[in-house]
Amino acid sequence: MRERSQTNPAVSCQEISVRYGDFVAADRVSFEVNEGEVFGLLGPNGAGKTSIIRALTTILQPSGGTAWVAGSPLSEPMSIRLRIGVLPESNGYPNRETAIEYLTFYAMLFGVDRQAAAPAAAESLQRMGLTSRAHHRIGTFSRGMRQRLGLARAMVSRPRVLFLDEPTLGLDPSGKEDVLGYLSTIAARGTTILLSSHLLDDVERVCDRVAIMDTGRIVSTGSVSDVARDADVGTTARVALNPADVLAALNAVQSAPFVAAGHVDEARRDELVVQLRTSTDSANQLATVLLRHDIPFRSIELRGARLSDAFLALTSRPQIPA
Amino acid sequence: MTTLEAGIPSATANARVVLRREMRELWESMKGLTVLFSYTVLLSIMSYVAASDAQLNLLDARESVGVIVQVAIGLGALAALVVAADAISGERERGTLEALLVTPLQRRSLIIGKLVAANTMWLAALIVALPYVFSLASGPGVAADAVAVLVIAGSLMSIALTALGMAVSAVAGSNRVSLAASIGMLLVLAAPSQLPTVTANGVLGSILIRANPVSAGLKLASEVLIAQKSWASQWTLLVSPAVAAVVLTVIAVALSSRIELGDAR
Repeated sequence: MRERSQTNPAVSCQEISVRYGDFVAADRVSFEVNEGEVFGLLGPNGAGKTSIIRALTTILQPSGGTAWVAGSPLSEPMSIRLRIGVLPESNGYPNRETAIEYLTFYAMLFGVDRQAAAPAAAESLQRMGLTSRAHHRIGTFSRGMRQRLGLARAMVSRPRVLFLDEPTLGLDPSGKEDVLGYLSTIAARGTTILLSSHLLDDVERVCDRVAIMDTGRIVSTGSVSDVARDADVGTTARVALNPADVLAALNAVQSAPFVAAGHVDEARRDELVVQLRTSTDSANQLATVLLRHDIPFRSIELRGARLSDAFLALTSRPQIPA
Repeated sequence: MTTLEAGIPSATANARVVLRREMRELWESMKGLTVLFSYTVLLSIMSYVAASDAQLNLLDARESVGVIVQVAIGLGALAALVVAADAISGERERGTLEALLVTPLQRRSLIIGKLVAANTMWLAALIVALPYVFSLASGPGVAADAVAVLVIAGSLMSIALTALGMAVSAVAGSNRVSLAASIGMLLVLAAPSQLPTVTANGVLGSILIRANPVSAGLKLASEVLIAQKSWASQWTLLVSPAVAAVVLTVIAVALSSRIELGDAR
C-alpha cells in the first residue's frame, strides 16, 4: 500500500468533481487539511459540500480529480475507511438496539475483536456523556442524544480523520458546548476534523480554517479573517433609531460614499444595518451623515467582519418571490 | 489519538459480524417472531382443514400431505423473501446505510451476512412445519418422503428466493419498490404451478414448470407425495431450484458493488 509521509496533509483534495448525470454537484474542488486541524466546509444548500464529503469518504466515485485521505489515495478505499470516522448527513439509527450494542457492532466492523469492542464502545459513549444510557434502546433517545451517539460511533475506531456533517444539529446549548469543546480537545490531540455546518458561529469558534463553497465551487478558503478579507465585507454598523426615522436614515446613509449597503433589520424595525466599505471607516462618519440630515439616533455599534458576513457576501442566495 | 491498530478485517469476519447483528435484529425483536407466529397460525389452519378433509374422504390422505408440504414451503420461502427484500433498501430508507458504507465493511460481506440471516427465517419455518408434516404424513406412510421434500426442495427454493429478494433490495430505489417487485416475481414464478393438468403435462408446460425453480419445487411435492412417483424418476425437478439457488446467490453478491445511497446530492 502506498503511504504518504506524516508531513503531508491529512486530507488533500485536488480538482475533485462530482456529477449526477448532467448535474455538476462539485466542480474541480481543491483544498488541503493539515494534521490536527479543524477545517470547516461551508456553503448554502446544494453547494456541493455533502458530495465532496461523500467523495472523500469513498461513498461516491468522483468523476474527476484525485484525493488523499489519511495517507491513502481514493483508489484504496478500504485503507481510507479504516482510518476515518464519519457522521453522515443521512444519520438514521436502529431503534431496537441499545447504544452499547450499536457501538460494539461498529467497533467490530473495524476489526476489533469481541472482547475489545465492548470496552471501546463504552469508552466512546463515556466521551459523549452517554454512559448512563448505554443499555437503553436508541428508540428512546432524544434528537440531541442521537447526534451524540452518532459522534460516538464516528469516534469508536479512534480515527485519524473525522468527517462531520452538521455535528451540532439538534443539540441544546449545553450539549453543543460539550461537543464543540470535545472536538477542540481531540483536534489538539492530533485528530484531523473536516466539518460541514450551517451554524456559522460554531464554525467560527472551532475551525482553524474554512472553505466556502457555492454552486459546486470553492469561492474562498483560508482562516476566518482571510475569508472575510477575500469577501471584502468591511465593517458592519448597527444604528438604533426611532422607527419613524428608519427609512429616512436609510436613504441618507446609502448615498454616502463610504457605505457599501444598508438595510433595515427585519427582526428589529428600529435598527439599521450598514455595511461600511473598509474597516477604517468609523462611527463618526456615519453620525455626521445622520446629523447633517437632522435624523436623531440612539446609538451606533460597530462590529468587525464575521464569517456570516463573508458567507452571505460570497454565496448566491435564492430569490424568494414577493 | 490514533486509529485502533486492527488492520483491514477479512470479508468473512465482517460477514459474521453482520450476520450476528441481523440475527439479533430478527429474533430478539418481535419482527421474526411475529412472522413466525403468523406462519404457524396459517399452517395450523391449513393442516386442520387438510386433516378434516382427509378424514371425511373429501381429500386423499396423500394429497392432503402434498398440499401441506406445498403450503409450508411456499409460505416459509415467502417469509424469508420478505425479510431479504427489506435488507438493503430498508437500511437505505431508514438512513442507516451511509454509516455502514463508510466503515471497512466489504459490501459483499453486508450482502452475505444479511442473506444467511434471512435464510434463518426459512430454517425457523422449517422447524415449525416439521411436526405438522410428520404427523399428517405418518398416516399414509409417506413421512420420510414428505420430510425430504420439505427439507431439500424447501431449502433450495428459500435460498433462491432470499437471494432474489436481496438482489432486488440492493438496486431498488425504495423499500416499497423492493417488496412489491420481490413478491410480484414470486407470484409470477408460482403461476405455472396453477396451469391446467393438460397444459402442464404438455411439452411446453413441462419445460415451463421444470425450468422455473418455484413451480419445479412444488411439482416435486405433488409428484412424489401425491402421484407416488419415485425419487429416482423425479430428482430432475430439483435441478432448477439448485441452479437458481447458486446463480441468484452469485448475482446478489455481485450486485453488492452497485449498492448506492440513492439520494443524489
